[in-house]
Amino acid sequence: MDKKTSECQVIVVTSGKGGVGKTTTVANVSTALARMGYRVVVMDLDIGLKKLDLILGLENRVIYDIVQVIEGECTLRQALVKDKRFPELYLLPAAQTRNKDEITPEQVKQLCDQMRPEFDFVFIDCPAGIEQGFRNAIAAADRALVVTNPEVSAVRDADRIIGMLESAGFQDIKLIVNRIRPDMVRHGDMLSIEDLLEHLCIDLIGVVPEDKSVVVSTNRGEPIILNNRSTAALAFNNIARRITGEQVEFPTFEEDSFWNRLKGLGRNLFSTR
Amino acid sequence: MLDFIKKIYMRDDTSSRNQANNRLRVVLTHDRLNLNANTLNTLKEEIIAVISKHLDIDGTPEVRLITEGRNTALDISIPIKGR
Repeated sequence: MDKKTSECQVIVVTSGKGGVGKTTTVANVSTALARMGYRVVVMDLDIGLKKLDLILGLENRVIYDIVQVIEGECTLRQALVKDKRFPELYLLPAAQTRNKDEITPEQVKQLCDQMRPEFDFVFIDCPAGIEQGFRNAIAAADRALVVTNPEVSAVRDADRIIGMLESAGFQDIKLIVNRIRPDMVRHGDMLSIEDLLEHLCIDLIGVVPEDKSVVVSTNRGEPIILNNRSTAALAFNNIARRITGEQVEFPTFEEDSFWNRLKGLGRNLFSTR
Repeated sequence: MLDFIKKIYMRDDTSSRNQANNRLRVVLTHDRLNLNANTLNTLKEEIIAVISKHLDIDGTPEVRLITEGRNTALDISIPIKGR
């Protein structure tokens, strides 16, 4: 099928800290876009520590990798792994036995330019850290998604990454808060979305609640977005829609229970000291 | 009794969420400026020392960082004694 949009968007997903859910975000948002009919390629730039093929459930279909494409051992078309469940989704795998400094930002740019005419979206899964791998991952991107968790160490790293993206000239940097637990926020035991926005000062594009079904889907190598009962699935689908420019409201996680209203009333009474 | 009820509703001040916010405010400001608490203290002392060489300081001088969005400013407030 042909691509849907005239312009291709290259989007880097980054975080600074590892383990906050970059790869899960890339896998699910790109799958959601492919399901909407967009032609999408996901590029794993975590060379040496690849995960994206495994999260997507495509690990048995990988033949060539990105370093082989860059070194001319195979063509880009040969290296792209097509996802049979989503005909518009392709994976460009990372190399597992190579190093992040074996490719350059210039080479990543050339590769993306090669893909732009054929795809609506190119997603780049950025490695953790702020070294060469990060520089490679941001080199070709038009916009950036920063993933963080409501946790001090992840927020500190996200802040550093946002600063580096801004110095690199990025105009469009959006925040995804992953693994939030609304019950803990309500009890004053976790940073809230408002807290994170106050610290990081960038626009929000997604809020993904902590959801056990993510672990289950990952075990199976299936995209979570197909699970209708998962709150994380809804969140990833919403992010995909917002990326296309659609206005999607953020669901409120506040429970409107009698107990909460009572507590709210109590707070109002006592805060006017 | 009132104290007990207040505790239930007002426990937010010492909540771990508030502590996280306070710690982040300090650490992010210092990270963005590549500044540590010691340097800030030295800076404060030196600024006050320079001013007091030429003018009489009255009361408690204040030198602190204020942030607005991702920008930071040094806020210096030094009361001066008149004749």
